[in-house]
Parts: sequence; structure tokens; C-alpha cells
Amino acid sequence: MSNSQAQYIISIMSRDRVGIIYEVSNAISELDGNLADVRQSLLCGYFTMILLASFPPTVTHRMIERKLAEVDARSDTPIVSAVKNVDPSDLRIGADYPENSYVLTARGADRIGFVATVANFCKEHNINIVDLSTTVSDGEYLMILVIDLSQAQAITRVRQDLTQFAQENDLRIVLQHRDIFRAVNEINLPLRESKRMLLTQTNY
Amino acid sequence: MIHPEEIFHTIDMIQKENLDVRAVTMGISLLDCHRVDVARTCEAIKEKIQRYAGNLVSTCDAISAEYAIPVVNKRIAVTPIAHVGAGFDVDGFVAIAQALDEAASSVGIDFLGGFSADVSNGVTVGDQALIAAIPRALTSTNKVCASVNVGATRYGINMDAIVLLGQTIKDLAEQSADSGGFAAAKFVVFTNQPGDNPFMAGAIHGLGQHEVVINVGVSGPGVIARALERRIAEAGSENLGLHDLAEEIKRTAFRVTRSGELIGRQVAQALNIPFGVVDLSLAPTPNVGDSVGEIMQILGVDAIGAPGSTAIIALLNDAVKKGGTFASQSVGGLSGAFIPVCEDQALANAVRDESLVLEKLEAMTSVCSVGLDMIAIPGSVDAATISAIIADEMAIGMINGKTTAVRLIPVPGKEAGEFVSFGGLFGESAIAPVRNVGKSSRFVKFGGKIPAPIHSLRN
Repeated sequence: MSNSQAQYIISIMSRDRVGIIYEVSNAISELDGNLADVRQSLLCGYFTMILLASFPPTVTHRMIERKLAEVDARSDTPIVSAVKNVDPSDLRIGADYPENSYVLTARGADRIGFVATVANFCKEHNINIVDLSTTVSDGEYLMILVIDLSQAQAITRVRQDLTQFAQENDLRIVLQHRDIFRAVNEINLPLRESKRMLLTQTNY
Repeated sequence: MIHPEEIFHTIDMIQKENLDVRAVTMGISLLDCHRVDVARTCEAIKEKIQRYAGNLVSTCDAISAEYAIPVVNKRIAVTPIAHVGAGFDVDGFVAIAQALDEAASSVGIDFLGGFSADVSNGVTVGDQALIAAIPRALTSTNKVCASVNVGATRYGINMDAIVLLGQTIKDLAEQSADSGGFAAAKFVVFTNQPGDNPFMAGAIHGLGQHEVVINVGVSGPGVIARALERRIAEAGSENLGLHDLAEEIKRTAFRVTRSGELIGRQVAQALNIPFGVVDLSLAPTPNVGDSVGEIMQILGVDAIGAPGSTAIIALLNDAVKKGGTFASQSVGGLSGAFIPVCEDQALANAVRDESLVLEKLEAMTSVCSVGLDMIAIPGSVDAATISAIIADEMAIGMINGKTTAVRLIPVPGKEAGEFVSFGGLFGESAIAPVRNVGKSSRFVKFGGKIPAPIHSLRN
């Protein structure tokens, strides 16, 4: 792919039905667009998708919007889309889950502002939320966040504050490095790179 | 992406089911610490331990905080001291034990193993002085653990050494009578003792190992018990065969071992020293719900020690190894299910209720690791009978090409059925009756050696 290609982030939202992904991706390929990455998710029968695509310089922002509007016009479920031109230097390819990502789970009674309370803690501690999902089970609200602590204070400090925060808000919170979940659930062991030590070496 | 169910399952393992890393043990070679006199040797030992292990505890704590998985014990294993102190007298060996204790305290670890000798095929002057020093060494220190290897599949069993050690165990218990004979809990007799075992009291840093290394012992009886209960509740026991339960144990052992492997490797990497092995042993603690005995009950015996108990232990032991081997790059140490009576509440209760007796424990040790472990017996049992119990257990190890061990505590002044408590991870138990006391003295008196077994005609 040449560097003259323009990069776009496109977001799609619709009630879920068969064929949405085909219609959207087909529209993009009709404009000679190339899909670099896609995430799609479903929630209570609603469909959302975010995708990164590159287009030849001849394709304008307006042309993409118009093409997606055509998809919406042909569809019996309204398709809401948003298109944003992005500077390639702003893109952090493959960095969705930084090395230092942790999994934070919070459980507690369902209430207004549950997510906001936890998100506020993250914001105040300079913790970036990279993934979030919630479920309700047995009247309890469960929140699973994948968070990036690379901008935050030391883990021991975050943990201390978190314990106090959990008490004050009557939540049960667990914070663990994401690697432990990968280690016990995946075949591969997530290990950080290190230099090989010779079995003949004695100077440590 | 990790599925939310897997996330909650993993969190439950740690929060509710007692998943931890039982021991991170640093093995340190002390072979280069021998000096012209005892004082300088002690200084060299302390200096070397402090140099390598100075950051062991803080590193384990930091990595433990990162993953939120407790590392219960931080330990050190050293070169068997019989090699390091060879040439010194008994007083010299006692002084070395005290230097080891000081070093262990100064770096903040829980226990230090390696006040040890290997006499399976004969005894050197170093071995002799070390064995004579054991009672004083263990009663004048807090953190030092001792072990002697008296047998090997390759060399046979040194019965003369076993005769000596029967008396050593009596001496240890009597000289620590005020704590129920606790010093005997820090001493273990082995056959086929591994040189990379991270578990106490038998941890040593054997010959043929690295200069310094990190080995890890995982835990997990609680995790396996809960996984089995969940599986049985979901499927219904009428729909499950033992093979299904073995499969569940195997999968759970994979998860347990994985967390040990990850933590151990991170500790080794942070300290910039090699990672050795994960020991796949299923090590219980006196905590409720962290018991190998409870797993036996879940697998179908109403009383531990009832017929079927040995078969269950065999299944459990093998399934743990199968799951663990795939989870770890290098497995070693003892690697099997432990049945230490005092340290396992369900086993201790079974001894109290007399459903579990010494003879059945012995049978169970033929299909698991590691032997007659942490069993309180009456203080009146004589040294020769203890030696004969050791000989039986060593024979199982020698013939089957596996590690076996004996850690008995003849509790001074107490008889069968009475109660003794050692506190902490050492737990508590009723005192197990020993039958046929005094009936083996002619056998023990022969001494000498039980020859190494033949390796063909395996039946």
C-alpha cells in the first residue's frame, strides 16, 4: 500500500440483521478502499462496528459519506455512520492492548452511575480504559475493564487507592495483570522478551 | 480477547479457591564458600547468600502485587552442607547452621534448606559430622531445615545410616519437647532425593545444578477440589466417570501450573538469574478448603483411608502431572500430590477418627509423592521402630525408582489419640498410633545395606 493512501476511521451503528457487514465492506471496496482492521460487537440486538480503511487520494471524505448514505438508504434498518479522516502518525497499530495492561473487575449492587464511578477512579489515576464490558447477574452488576497503567502511578499505589475506593463505594474490585488471564486460559505463555542465559554461565 | 467467563473463573481461582504460589525457592551453590577455618567459611556463606538473595523477598512481593497472586513462602536451598563443611568437626557444622540461619533472617526468607548429606552408598567425614550436628543445628536455629538421602535406586539403602537417623529423630523431638518435638518437623529422610526440589524440609541445591537458580512450587488442592465440585454439580455424578474427573483435574492443574510458571519466570527475569523448574506438587495447607484429603472425599471415599483411597491418589497424582507438564517448560522437584498429615486438615481429621492409619498412608505413598510426611507419632516409640518405618518407606522409593521421604514427629510425652499443634503452615493433628512397636529391632540391628534392585523383570 502506498503512503499516498488516506486513512479513515469509520464507525457504523444499526439494529442487527443479516448482511450489514457485507453491505458496508462492499461499499468500501467499490471505492477501492482497503480494510486494515475491524472490530464488531453486538449488544441487545444492536450492531456496532469500527473499522480502519485506507482509500486512494482520489476518494474524498464526502465520497465515503455519500457511499455509506446509499447503504443506509437501501437498508430497511437505519444505518448510522460516522467517517473520520486520520493522520497515520496518530494511529497506534497493534497497541490496543499495551504490554502493561491490567484487568479490573468491579462487582456491586446495580445502581445509577456505577460505570461513571469506576470510570472516574480511572480518570483520576490517569488510567486509560482500553476495553470495557458489563453484565448483570443475580442482581449484581459486573464490570470488566481492560486498563492501561503505563501513565498511572506504581501498581502498589493504585492498589492501595483501589482498596479504599472499593470500601467507600461498597464494591468488590480485583485488579490483576492481563498476562495472568492469558497464562491460565491460553496455550501460549505470555512472557516478556529476555536475553537467553547460557547454561555455562556463572556470573549473575 | 479473554472471555468474561474465563476472567471470572480465573478470579475465583485466586480469591475463593486458594490459588497461590506455594514457594519461590532460590537455589544457591555454596561450593566455593569453604575456607581454611569455620569462622571464615561462615562469613563467606553469609556474604554469598546476602549477595544473591538480598532482593528475593522484595522482588517476589512486587511481582505478587502485579499479578495479585500470593507467593506464600520465599525460601532458599543451598548446596548440601556436608560438601561445603567437609573437614570441619561437629561444632563447626553447628556454627555453619547458625550462619545459615542468620543469613536467612537477614534476607527475610521463611526457610532455608540444605543442611544435608547424601549417604545412600556410604558416608564421608563431612556426612558423619553433619549427621551428628543435626539435633544441635536444628534446635539452635529457626529457619534451617535438614535432610539426609539414605537410599537410591542406583545404590540401594544404607541401613547403618537409617539406624543412626532413627535416633536423630528421637533426639530432635526430645530436645524440642516444649514445642511438641517441632525440631523433628524440620528434618526429613529421603530416597532418591531430587536436587531441585523447592519444598521444605527437603529442599537442597544439588550437585549438577546452576550457580544460582529460581525454582517454584505450586499449590492448588483448593482449586482442584472446587473445580471437581463444580463439574459434578453441573453434570451430575451419575453422568461422570473417573476419566471425566481425571480430565477436570488435568485441566485445572494446567491453570495452576501456568500461574506458577509465569510468576517464577518473572521473578527469575527480574533478578536476572536462570529459571529452573516448576514442581508440580499439589501441596495442601491447614486452611479449610485447601486439602488433598478433601479431594479424596469428593472423588468418592466417605472416610479417607477406606479401600479405594490408594487408587484415588494414583489417579489424582497422574492427572496433576499430565496437566502440569504441558503448562511448564521444565518440570522437576518432587512433582506429585503431597499427603502431609498435620498440614492437611481432612487428613488430620481422618487420623483423629482412626480411618487413616500409618499402613494405609504408606500404601498411598507408593503412588504419589512424597512419603510419610508430617505424621505425629507417640513419643514413646523407640528409635529402632522409627528406623524400621523409614526402611519400609525407603524400600518403596528404591524399588519404584521414585522419591520417597519420611518426616515423623515422635511427640514427647504424648500418646496415640492425643493432640499436637505446630502452628502456621505446619498445622496440627491427632497423634497416630504405631502398631507393632519394638517388633523390628532384630531387623534394624542387622544394619548394613539393602542392595540396589535389578532393573529388568519389572513386576
